[in-house]
Amino acid sequence: MGRRLPQIFFALSLFALVLIIAAVWQASTPSWKKYQHEYLQMEAQGEPNAVTKAAVLNTPPQIQQILLPGLQRVDRCTTCHQGVEDPTMKNAPEPFHYHQGLGPHVPSKFGCTICHGGQGLATDVKDAHGNVPFWQTPLLPADYVRASCGRCHKEGDIPGVPELTEGRRLFETEGCRGCHKLNGIGGSIGPDLSEEGASLRSPQWLEQHFLNPSAVSPGSAMPNFHFTRGQARALTYYMLSLTNADMGAYYASEPLIPSPSYGRELFVQKDCLVCHSIGGVGAKVGPDLLGVTKRHSTNWLDEQLVNPQLVYPGSSMPAFDMPATERKAVIAFLATATATDAQAIVAGKGQAPTPEDAAIAAGKLDFGRFGCAGCHGTDLQGGVPNPNAQGGEVPSLLHLASDYSKDDVLEIIRNGRVPPLANTKGPQPPLYMPAWKNLLSDEDIHQIVEFLWSKQQKSQDNW
Amino acid sequence: MNLIREIWQSIVRRDPLSTDKGKSELVFLNVWLHIHPAKVKKEHFKFNHTFYLGFITFFLFLVLVTTGIALMCYYRPYPSVAYQDMKDLQFVVFMGPFLRSMHRWAAHAMVICVFLHMCRVFYTGSYKKPRQFNWVVGVILLLLTLGLSFTGYLLPWDQLAFWAITVGTNIGGYAPFVGNYIRELLLGGHTVGQEALIRFYVLHVAVLPSLVILLTIVHFWRIRKDGGLSRPIWKLKPNKPEELVTIGATPQTAPLQAVAASSDKTYGLMEVVTGKPIFETVAPEEEEDAVFSYPFAFFREAIALMATVTVVMATSLFWHAPLEELANPAKTPNPAKAPWYFLGLQELVSHSALIGGVVAPSLMVLALLVIPYFDRNPSRRPSDRKWAIWLFTIFVVINLVLIVIGTFFRGPGWAFVPPWVHVVAGAE
Amino acid sequence: MNRRSFLSWGTAGMATLGSAMAVSFGAVVRFMTPSVFYEPPQTFKIGKPLDFAYGAPTFLADEKIYVFRDRDKGFSVASAVCTHLGCTVKFFTNDDQFHCPCHGSIFAESGKVVHGPAPRPLNWFEVTLARDGQLLVDKDKIVPASYRLMV
Repeated sequence: MGRRLPQIFFALSLFALVLIIAAVWQASTPSWKKYQHEYLQMEAQGEPNAVTKAAVLNTPPQIQQILLPGLQRVDRCTTCHQGVEDPTMKNAPEPFHYHQGLGPHVPSKFGCTICHGGQGLATDVKDAHGNVPFWQTPLLPADYVRASCGRCHKEGDIPGVPELTEGRRLFETEGCRGCHKLNGIGGSIGPDLSEEGASLRSPQWLEQHFLNPSAVSPGSAMPNFHFTRGQARALTYYMLSLTNADMGAYYASEPLIPSPSYGRELFVQKDCLVCHSIGGVGAKVGPDLLGVTKRHSTNWLDEQLVNPQLVYPGSSMPAFDMPATERKAVIAFLATATATDAQAIVAGKGQAPTPEDAAIAAGKLDFGRFGCAGCHGTDLQGGVPNPNAQGGEVPSLLHLASDYSKDDVLEIIRNGRVPPLANTKGPQPPLYMPAWKNLLSDEDIHQIVEFLWSKQQKSQDNW
Repeated sequence: MNLIREIWQSIVRRDPLSTDKGKSELVFLNVWLHIHPAKVKKEHFKFNHTFYLGFITFFLFLVLVTTGIALMCYYRPYPSVAYQDMKDLQFVVFMGPFLRSMHRWAAHAMVICVFLHMCRVFYTGSYKKPRQFNWVVGVILLLLTLGLSFTGYLLPWDQLAFWAITVGTNIGGYAPFVGNYIRELLLGGHTVGQEALIRFYVLHVAVLPSLVILLTIVHFWRIRKDGGLSRPIWKLKPNKPEELVTIGATPQTAPLQAVAASSDKTYGLMEVVTGKPIFETVAPEEEEDAVFSYPFAFFREAIALMATVTVVMATSLFWHAPLEELANPAKTPNPAKAPWYFLGLQELVSHSALIGGVVAPSLMVLALLVIPYFDRNPSRRPSDRKWAIWLFTIFVVINLVLIVIGTFFRGPGWAFVPPWVHVVAGAE
Repeated sequence: MNRRSFLSWGTAGMATLGSAMAVSFGAVVRFMTPSVFYEPPQTFKIGKPLDFAYGAPTFLADEKIYVFRDRDKGFSVASAVCTHLGCTVKFFTNDDQFHCPCHGSIFAESGKVVHGPAPRPLNWFEVTLARDGQLLVDKDKIVPASYRLMV
C-alpha cells in the first residue's frame, strides 16, 4: 500500500474536486431558476424589438421575496409564480397564471400564504406548497381558500363568503362552547379551538368530523349534530379562519370592509336622519336620499362626504372627516337603503325593550353562546346520551319549574352538578353540568334562568 | 531573477526537499508541522493498529470548525429568528443545505469516531505507563465532544432540538445537591427559552471549542513526548529491546553517557545531523526502520484528511440534514427523545432517575478515568490482558445495547415497542 | 514505484487538490454573498398613472421619492435623499426647488445642485409601466434627469 500512496492521494484529490464541483452544481441549479427561465421565454415571445427581447431573456435569475413583518412571515412564492400581477398572463399555464380578483390584497402588502397557506420561506415546489412532513399549514384546497378571509376579517359579513357568516352563527347558537374553548371562553371537554386553523387537521377532515364526529375521531364524546353538508362546510370555513388572533390587527383598527351593514351602523351613528330622509321617512332639512346612487356617481358622492361645501357652498352639512373605508360603506348602504330601513332606524332609536324582555333575550343569547344548547338542546329538549347517568341522557329543561325553584336552578348553574349514577359500581358518565360561577356573572345566570322560565311547558298532571 | 529567489528563500528557509536535511528542516523549522518528529518508525503507520481514528477525529473537528464558522454568518441565536434562519439556509443560501448537512454529519461522525478511538486505545493498551494521563485528557476530550454535540443540538430550535435538550437538561437536574443549580446555569432560567439558546450558542461556538483546542494541543504534545503514535510492540522482532523510554537524561547518569537503547525513542535533530544520539546508542537495524516524516507520514495524514472530508462531502450531497417543525413548548412530541448518544442514558433514567441518570453515568465516567491507574498489568499484548479486554467489551456492548433500545425499541410513552410492530399514531 | 512516477502522481495530486481548493474558495465567496435582502425592495409599484396629480410632485415618504407628472412630458421619479449626508429633502412649490433641512443644500427642479455642500445632483430613478398598468420604480437603475416615461 505504501507504494501506491501518491496514486491514492491523486485519486482522493480527484474525488474531492468532483465532489466540490457537484456541490456547486447542485446549489446553482435550483428548480426555481427553471421556472423563471420559462417565464422569461413567455414574456419575450412576441416581443418585436430584438434589443428588448435580448434584455428580457438575459434578466438574471433572482429569488423574489416579500417581507411581511406585520404578518410575521416572508413569502417567496412570486419567485416561481411570476405572472400573478400580470394581466397578460390570463391564459398562461401554472405557475405563471394571473391572479384574478385580488382587489386591495396585493402581494406586496399581503404576500400569498396568509390566504393560501403553504410554506412561504421555501423555494422549491413541494416544500413551498407545504405538503411535506413538519409543515403544519399546507396549501388550502381551492374550495376552502375563501375561508382565509376570516383570518383578518374577524367580524361582520364578508362579501363573497357567506359560509363564514353562517359558520360563526352556527358556532354561537349550536352550543359548541359547551365543550370547546374559543379565545378563553368555553368548556374543557373538547380541545381548544382558538387556533384550529393552524392545526394539522385538513379541511376534509374537519368537514367529515362535523358530519360524523365518531367516524373520524373514534371514542369521541362529541355528539352528532346532524349538520347538513352546507352547514358542515360553513363550520369548516369558520374553523379554518381561526389562526393567530393578532393577524387582522396589523392592517386596521377599524372595520376593514365597506359593507352596507357597516354603512348602516355609521348612518345611525352619525345621525344622518336628523337632516335627511329616505323615501320620505326622516327630516326635511337636506335632500331625500332614496336612490341617490342612481342619480350621482360614487365619486361625486364620495367628494360630497369629504367636502360638502364643494358642491353646495354655504351648505349646512358638516364635514364628517370620515376615512375612505367609512365613506365607501355609507355609500354602499345608500345604494340599497329604502324607507323601511329609515323607519327601522327611527323606531330603533325611540323604543326601549322592557327589562323582562331584555333579560330573556340576553339569557337566550347566553344559552346559545356558552354552549348550554350543546348538551340541553337548542329547544331545551335534552336527549344527548350520557352513559351510566340516571336516565341515560342529558335531561330536558322544559319541566324545571315542576321540580325546582328559580333559586335552586341558579345554584345548580353556579356550582355545577355531577349526575347521579345509574349503576353506582359503573364508570363516571362522561358529561356533567360544569360550574359557571367563575365564567358567568350572577346577573348573566339570572338572565338565563329567566329565559328558561319563559320556555317552561306546563306539566300534564293536574294537581 | 535573483530577487525572486531571494524573496522565496526569505520565506522558505530550508534546504530543498530533495535532500535529507531539507526533509528534516521541513518538519522542525515549520511551525505547523514541528509537532512531528523528523523521522518516524514505519510501525507507527500501521493502519490495522490505529485505523488512524485519532487523526480522523481531529480532521472531523476541523471540518466542523470551518463549516461552523460559515454557518455562523447566517444563523442568529434567538428563538424568534433561529428557525427562520435554518429555513433560509435550507432554501435561499448558496450551498446552504450542503454546508449544514456537512456540519451535522461530521458532528455525528465525530462522536462515533472519538468513541471508536477510545476503544482502540484501550484494546491496544496504549494508555499504560507513561501514557496514563493522556488517556485522562482523552476522556475529557470525549466529554467535551459530547458537550459540543449537545449544545449544537439546540440551535435549530425545532421540536427535536427543543425537547431533546429539555429531556437532556432534566436528566442532568437529577444530580444531587448541584443538579438543579447546574441546570439553572445552563438554561439561564427554569425552562428552555431564549436565555438557554444564547448560552448554548456561546458554549457551542466559543467556550467548548476553545477547551477542545487547548486540550488537543496537550493531547498531541504528550503523544510526541511519550514516543509517538501507538505501535504493536508485542509484535516487534525479538532482538529489539522493549524498555521504557526516559525523557531526557536520568538524574543518576551524567550527560553523554550511553544508556541502553530504547525501542520507543524518536529522533531529535541532533541525532539526525551528527548520526549519533546524544543520550543513547542506536542499533543500526533501528535506523533502517525509520523513514522521513516527509513524505511518508504526511502523505498518509493527507490521505486520511482527504478521505474524511470527501466522505462527509459525499454524504452531504445525497442526504440533507432534517429539520422538524418549529419548537412548540406547549406541544410535547410523544416520545420525546434525547440526542442518540444520550439515549442509553435516557433508557437508564426511565428505570431510575437517580441510579440511572446520575449514579450510573458518573460511575462510568469515573471508571473510564481510573483505568490507567487501576490496570497494574504492564503488558500490552492482548493475550496477557484477557480480563481487561472482556470487561471493556462488555462495557461497550452494554452501552450500545442501551442506545439501540432507546432508539428503536421505545415508542410513545416510552413503552417497549419493537420497531417491527406497526404503531398506529393517534390523531393529534 | 520510482521517484519519477512518485513525483508525477504526487504533483498531479497536488494540482488536483489545488483546483479543488480554488473551486472551494470561489464557492465560499458565493456562499457569503446574500441571495435575498431583508430590506424594503428596490423595485416597487407606486400606483396607477391616474392616481398622480399634475403640477406639484407627489412625495412618497416610505420610499423617499418624489413623483413628477408633467402635462406634456410624462413621469419622472427623483430621489428625496440629499447627496450630502442622506437627509430627506423637501420640494417647495414657491421656488420649485428641493431644500435640505440639515445643511442647507438646495437642488433645482432638475436635481442639479444650486447651493450648499451637496457634491452631486439628486438621483433620478427609472420608472416604467408594469403589465397591470401600475408605475414601476427601480431604484437600482439611475437615469439622467431628462428621462421621462410617456403614458
